[in-house]
Amino acid sequence: MKDNVKGGALTEVTFFILLALHTPRHGYAIMQFIEEKTGGRLVLGAGSLYGALNTLTEKKWIEPCGDSRGRTKECRITAEGRAIAQKELCRLRDLVNTASEIMEEQS
Amino acid sequence: MSIVRKRFFFGFMESQAKWLNSMSDKGYRLTECGKLNYRFKECEPAKYRYAVEYIGDRSFEEAEKYREFLESFGYRVFYKNMNLDFATYKLTFRPWADKGGRLSSNRPDSTYNKELLIVEKKDDGKPFRLHTESDDMIGYYRRLCHPWYYSAFIFALFAVLLWPNLICSVIFGLLTLLCIAGIIVWNFRIRRLIKDRETEE
Repeated sequence: MKDNVKGGALTEVTFFILLALHTPRHGYAIMQFIEEKTGGRLVLGAGSLYGALNTLTEKKWIEPCGDSRGRTKECRITAEGRAIAQKELCRLRDLVNTASEIMEEQS
Repeated sequence: MSIVRKRFFFGFMESQAKWLNSMSDKGYRLTECGKLNYRFKECEPAKYRYAVEYIGDRSFEEAEKYREFLESFGYRVFYKNMNLDFATYKLTFRPWADKGGRLSSNRPDSTYNKELLIVEKKDDGKPFRLHTESDDMIGYYRRLCHPWYYSAFIFALFAVLLWPNLICSVIFGLLTLLCIAGIIVWNFRIRRLIKDRETEE
């Protein structure tokens, strides 16, 4: 995942995973959350999700928690992850405000 | 009724997945696979979809973790060999693999003859892809190139060392070229993905 490469922006997938994990979830539940919230536009493969969860765990933005289904544990967002998601929300708000100002002015 | 088919796809994972999907379209579901044999039982046509993934660069522990992760999605997962080797005791060196997977043997808790995962899910009308994100796919394709680089090097070395024996040298030379062709194909795909990613960004 190429997060924080350009101007601190997260990828859409990372942001959605962080949003999904505000409630503890298993991999399949995260996939369903993303699909549901994007109306099926963003469908994440299980292999890609596995890699993303490992990367975010290494970054300590998410952590395993609670009951495990077999050895596959639920994950939840950490305090650091929440701060990152909050920062991304501010960035997106600024972006939307700028875009609205310019585009609404022209129309 | 169950049927058995003999096939060997070496490292051609897409061909393997395509064949398994075509068997499913004909009404056969995979129940077991050996080194060459695939056992199927009858099912409703096109009820299941298959994907094949290379995991030969992972440690056995990591491969098991990944298998369990996929099974938690309700998928059925089979280990499959990428090489055709019937040796009783086998120890191989995979310099490209992750820590814990570099020395691989055919013990039950190692990854030799378990280089691939065949993953099955119930058809939901959507394409079955395990890797969907461009960065993840680029990483996966790069990992796929490693065994091809290593094989090309080994075959080229044999082609040179066996030079006085023309037939052996030609055979190893042709195998080297086959590996180089594989490297070119994967690198072409990587470059296309990088280009697409740059456009998206």
